[in-house]
Amino acid sequence: MKQTESIYIYENTFTSLLSLIKLLIKNKIKPLDIKNLNYSPTLLDTIVNPKIEEKNIMNFWTSKTSKEIIKTTYYIFLSNNSEKELIIYYFLLNSLKYQNKIFYLRNLNCVNKALKISHQVINETHKFKGFTRFKELKNHILYAEIAPENDVLDILSNHFKNRLKNEYWIIKDTNHKILSLYDKHNFYIIDNNNFKMDSIEATCENEEIEKLWKNFYKTIGIAERKNDRCRMNFMPKKYWKNMLEMSDEIEKNS
Amino acid sequence: MNIQEKLKILADSAKYDASCSSSGSIRKSKDGIGNTAYSGICHSFASDGRCISLLKILLTNCCIFDCKYCLNRKSNTIKRAIFTPEEIAKITINFYKRNYIEGLFLSSGIIKSPDYTMNLLIKTMELLRHKYHFGGYIHAKAIPGASAASLKKLGSLVDKLSANIELPTESGLKLLAPNKETSKVTKIMQYVKDNKNISYVPAGQSTQMIIGATKETDKDIISKSEYLYHKYQLKRVFYSAYIPVNKDKLLPSLMVPPLKRENRLYQADWLLRYYGFKTQDLLDNNNPNFNILIDPKSDFALRHLNEFPKEINTCSYKELLKIPGIGIKSAKRIVSSRKIFTLQFKDLKNMGVVLKRAKYFITCNHKYFINPEYFEKKFIESNLVLEDKEHINNTNKQLSLFE
Repeated sequence: MKQTESIYIYENTFTSLLSLIKLLIKNKIKPLDIKNLNYSPTLLDTIVNPKIEEKNIMNFWTSKTSKEIIKTTYYIFLSNNSEKELIIYYFLLNSLKYQNKIFYLRNLNCVNKALKISHQVINETHKFKGFTRFKELKNHILYAEIAPENDVLDILSNHFKNRLKNEYWIIKDTNHKILSLYDKHNFYIIDNNNFKMDSIEATCENEEIEKLWKNFYKTIGIAERKNDRCRMNFMPKKYWKNMLEMSDEIEKNS
Repeated sequence: MNIQEKLKILADSAKYDASCSSSGSIRKSKDGIGNTAYSGICHSFASDGRCISLLKILLTNCCIFDCKYCLNRKSNTIKRAIFTPEEIAKITINFYKRNYIEGLFLSSGIIKSPDYTMNLLIKTMELLRHKYHFGGYIHAKAIPGASAASLKKLGSLVDKLSANIELPTESGLKLLAPNKETSKVTKIMQYVKDNKNISYVPAGQSTQMIIGATKETDKDIISKSEYLYHKYQLKRVFYSAYIPVNKDKLLPSLMVPPLKRENRLYQADWLLRYYGFKTQDLLDNNNPNFNILIDPKSDFALRHLNEFPKEINTCSYKELLKIPGIGIKSAKRIVSSRKIFTLQFKDLKNMGVVLKRAKYFITCNHKYFINPEYFEKKFIESNLVLEDKEHINNTNKQLSLFE
């Protein structure tokens, strides 16, 4: 392997990144860094923008490594970690050598980092499976807003595609400024700028249901066991903003 | 009475039940709405820090029984309410659709007779499963005294079916719940155990005991749990710290619910189910109650210090499980990793081992974390207690920032 001083650029997608890494490893190149198209280079950077062949890239990597390894790699790709591309590069490089043993090699710094990040993404996705709140709009579409740190909308949409398969729904990720639209068959993830919603006004019935839920939430806590520390531990404040039942507490605190 | 008030009354009456778990079932979504997640999903956390996964309500808080500890006992003058099956089904679907909940947990006071109540529960479940094609999680409480026919029907509609044993001894039950008999509850458990399969109560059964209302020791309680796990293959036993909702000369006048004791019982319960411990490893007639200052696993290790420190790189999986601070996941990771390389303390940290506790009881590559002279009971014990206290103090400090 030859260490270079160049920064390599890929086209923002997971497959494009995997293709670039394949190219780099094939040519025995250790990049200084890997960045996506949004990267604004400084004067000192050497930028390389190679032509990338993406055909059958998923099959290539699954056969060279394993499904579990590629899945982990995808989770890392979704994270907001600024070094994620390089972490993926070294994780895959080592995976070629160690195969599934890689999951136990926490003494290697790059593996340890990779597994930690992938775990964070899985963890956040799981939280949003529970904490996402829909409301029913006048056109009977279910609408939710979330603000995750990592780009979990794709995995989350898969979850709701199975669960709410006979409903129309929209989930808006206000952090990453993207939306997921579900039409009872598939979901489509689009840029916020390419989509305009006339109104997000809810139905009258919706208001009654929301009141029932808030009512239930307040009732179900046992006063004698009140434990803010424990609640904060499982449900940190950063999630409260989009959780209907917490709206009163946010007001009370501010 | 409007629906808001009904929900308030019937959620308030249901909140003392500890179980809210939605795990252990794989129900794929079909034509209707909903599926289940094997791991379970928490949708919110209540002001007491407990997970909210299911819509936990009673069908009615009317009851022909007069159990001393229960808010809904016949002799209490409280507001009574009853949901219709249709009302419950509608709220469940509407909550589920908005992703507030993972499903329904329905229990009930006994109205008219056990089977009359069972039929109302069955009707609700039939509406949900057949009219609304609901594929989410349902946990139902079976009513003591229910017929085999109604148990058969209800169990085929739900994911989890359970009956509460309430108190660990027959004498305790006689004292506080004169209308209940342990045999009526165990009859339900036996029936569910004999019939459990993929379409009958797929997530299994659980039960609950009230802690601190009667004089039973932790040993009585944990022995009872061990017996129940063994005899009826229960998924879980829940422990609920007694909260005085009623005044009665037979009841203790506790001001604070015994939460720490409840916590120790849960820790011991996990040791029974997953770590290969037996009741007699943890408690005996000289020590019939858990140490409030130290968790049961550390307490066990301190009493068997001659078996420690254990060498992480060579001791068996079973031995790893006996080490405080090492859980199932980290024990498995250790076993797989040490085949490839020799583990050091920092590797353990990366694997998720709680070194704060584990470090006193292990060596890594024959090295103790400090001078091995310190490996003695008094030193370890006082440090474990101290670190717990520091933890509590620190978190209290952090909390005050918000106020």
